[in-house]
Amino acid sequence: MPVSQPCRVSASPSKLKLLDQAGAQGTLLGSRCILCDSHTFGAVPSCQACYSTEVESVELGAEGTLYSYTIVRTPPPGWQGEVPYLLGQVELPQGPHVVSQVVDCPPEHLHIGMKMLLHLDEVGSSDPNNDEVMVIFKWRPIV
Amino acid sequence: MKPGRKVVVLGVGLHPFGRFPDLGLPELARPAVAQALDDADVQWKDVQAAYFGHVYYQGMSLGEVTLRSIGLSGIPVINVENACSSGSTAFWQAYWGIASGVFDLALAFGAEKVPRGPVAVNSDDDPERFTGADHMMAAYALKAQRYIHKHSASLESLAEVAVKAHDNAILNPNSHYKKAFTVAEVLESRPIADPLTLYQCCPTSEGAAAAILCAEEEAARFGAGLGRSVSIEASVLASGTYSPQGSDHAALNPYRAEFAARQAYEMSSLGPGDMELIQVHDAATIGEIEHMEALGIVKEGEGWVASSAGRTRIGGDIPTNTDGGLLAMGHPFGASGIRMVHEVVTQMRGEATGRQVISPRSGGPPRVGIAHCSGAGDVTTVHILKR
Repeated sequence: MPVSQPCRVSASPSKLKLLDQAGAQGTLLGSRCILCDSHTFGAVPSCQACYSTEVESVELGAEGTLYSYTIVRTPPPGWQGEVPYLLGQVELPQGPHVVSQVVDCPPEHLHIGMKMLLHLDEVGSSDPNNDEVMVIFKWRPIV
Repeated sequence: MKPGRKVVVLGVGLHPFGRFPDLGLPELARPAVAQALDDADVQWKDVQAAYFGHVYYQGMSLGEVTLRSIGLSGIPVINVENACSSGSTAFWQAYWGIASGVFDLALAFGAEKVPRGPVAVNSDDDPERFTGADHMMAAYALKAQRYIHKHSASLESLAEVAVKAHDNAILNPNSHYKKAFTVAEVLESRPIADPLTLYQCCPTSEGAAAAILCAEEEAARFGAGLGRSVSIEASVLASGTYSPQGSDHAALNPYRAEFAARQAYEMSSLGPGDMELIQVHDAATIGEIEHMEALGIVKEGEGWVASSAGRTRIGGDIPTNTDGGLLAMGHPFGASGIRMVHEVVTQMRGEATGRQVISPRSGGPPRVGIAHCSGAGDVTTVHILKR
């Protein structure tokens, strides 16, 4: 019997879109105001800066620059991942900042200004009865 | 907006901050309310409206439940949730309720029993819990790391904020913590999120605070003297303004308090240079430093220098968080904003025994003070008081 490949789905569809069938590639999503060009991370129905409803959904891409970082040694309630973990605040070229875990990086390599790449991380199944696996946006350094 | 009607704080009350496993929220809040009524020298029957700040859900209509044992007077009671600014938002509502002429005398109070452990902001089913970003102190840590990078601030200058807070709290009988720490002890305490260590993060606390506000022109009608009153010169509540950094996470935009501070200075016709006493939201050491800058008390990038130089200590020229602040007095969310008012009023009356600020300008107690609260969401309040 062939093993069915689990299907990847975005855990946060207003902020992350998967670009291929296997869910190996993704882009962050946001909104751009057609009137004032302000960007937000995540889809919004109107512009947060000028309140216009003339906003369009845009792909914010998969790259950014590390604006700040921390090594979290006491995790938040319910944290299932390893401890300590790295947390990065990444500035996208369009302006918005995206804060998420940084993976595949020794802590001593982190420095403000380094280039970061979107990392799609599997965070579990939304429903144990189907083979969908949710993925969330994280960061890793561009090497 | 500058209302024509002047509003004063007639009295304040406080339940000590700490851990009180045997007391429910109403039992914490009631003594603070009773003390504020006594201090104001007014009767419960004179209170025309009550605003209650609290965050964690411990049953419906807790303001009404708390006050019913004092007396079922039928007044409007409003329960206020505005994150860490819940208490100061209740105070803001009481102020505007009186300034607008709807009420003459009102109670603002707040209480909280904060669960132990790191504080998360989002709901449990938010998929972003998997990003590790929903961690209030980690957000402050990101600000600290950026601040250190930008301004070459020393770790010791951050730690000094906590050392000062604990030194002040020792002089305050109502504080959660009463133990002195050295800079080295602060830096070597349990790591939370680099560069922040345990003593650089406020504790989760229980406690309550209350204030009686009154229209100045109506105080005599309630038999209250104005001799110990403190006037409210500005009362501002603001929510987030656009920043591409994201207005959805309160802690990420370091200077968002500027927007509310500007309005408060305009409303009071006072400026940052007039402040002889400062209470700012020091949920973490970096919070005090950046909020001092956002309020214009010090220039951007100079908050850490002011901390290192001892300017923010009780004997300094910009005495800050003189009761121990959130860091050492403690942080019961709903109470904290009114606790700040309590300290400003106590200092202005010259009744802060052991930690009394003497203004270098007057040679007496401070006459002008500012209280700033910041909450997730985001919520900012700024109050300016004068005596």
